[in-house]
Amino acid sequence: MHEMALMAGVFDIIKQYTTDLEESRVTKVTLVVGEMTNAVPEALQSAFAVYSAGTVVEGAELLIREIPLTAECMSCGWAGKTEKHLFICPQCSSLGLELKTGRELYLESLEVE
Amino acid sequence: MEIKINTGILSSNDQTAVENKKVFDQTGLFVINMMGSPGAGKTTVLEKAIDILVDSVQVAVIEGDIYTSKDAQRIEKHGVPVKQINTGGACHLEAKMISRVLAEFNLAATQLLIIENVGNLVCPVEFNLGEDIKIAVLSITEGDDKPLKYPLLFRESGAVILNKVDLVDYTDVNMDVLRRDIIRINPGIQIFEVSARTGRGIGEWVQWLLEKVKEKKIRLPKNRVFL
Repeated sequence: MHEMALMAGVFDIIKQYTTDLEESRVTKVTLVVGEMTNAVPEALQSAFAVYSAGTVVEGAELLIREIPLTAECMSCGWAGKTEKHLFICPQCSSLGLELKTGRELYLESLEVE
Repeated sequence: MEIKINTGILSSNDQTAVENKKVFDQTGLFVINMMGSPGAGKTTVLEKAIDILVDSVQVAVIEGDIYTSKDAQRIEKHGVPVKQINTGGACHLEAKMISRVLAEFNLAATQLLIIENVGNLVCPVEFNLGEDIKIAVLSITEGDDKPLKYPLLFRESGAVILNKVDLVDYTDVNMDVLRRDIIRINPGIQIFEVSARTGRGIGEWVQWLLEKVKEKKIRLPKNRVFL
């Protein structure tokens, strides 16, 4: 349910980049969302539709690039995808896994024309 | 034309959280952000803990709630300063909501600030408030499947309070599974098994908390110690 608040953050950033682009329209917004964030893509899409209405972003495509949860084992060096958010090494059963990707939550780019 | 941005969606909240943290660090104030489902027992755990804590430290409380001030009224009865934040529909506290009420406390005379977040296992986790540590409260009656269903809260928390352990015989919860899954999500997490109703285990959690309060004070430069 906090996707509305997240989208408010997205539009705050978009506004900073589009205030001096009066004649232009944003056609595509790319977000990067890690697997281990509590942001649900479908809810982000709904929030995007609400926030873009009546702005230079209206009608733009929201592309959500999802990043899998990956980790590296500090004991045996194993690296790979972490299943079910369990930070246990599938190779040596160590609990010393370091998170590598999956916590991303950022606005990557805008396509403007 | 493509404009590269690469800015965190939460960067504005994170910035305010950093500013809050600066304020807390100035006087060595230790701040916890408590999160858990509605009905997990967050407020009851706090009520029991505050009664012990007040013998050793000055405590202040911020209560997050969507509409009511019921929790703040309960905390007030225990004789500590408390401020209610009503989010008016929002499912989580944000850093700027905290910064707005800080002036209403005498922070220099406070050693422990407890923030009770809006009852919710999902949303509050992503919003840093400037706290030193996040603490998850999970009642065992919610089921032993909850850590795997809501891993981020357990991953980000420094401690988890498993509440309502007095009811273990009346539920199908498997405590071994519960503990195992929590540790697999976050090997460094501290687990406290408590019953806020009977008071069991509250003392252990309070002792741990007091250690943390003391550790933060010790890290302060000598001329800035207010104790």
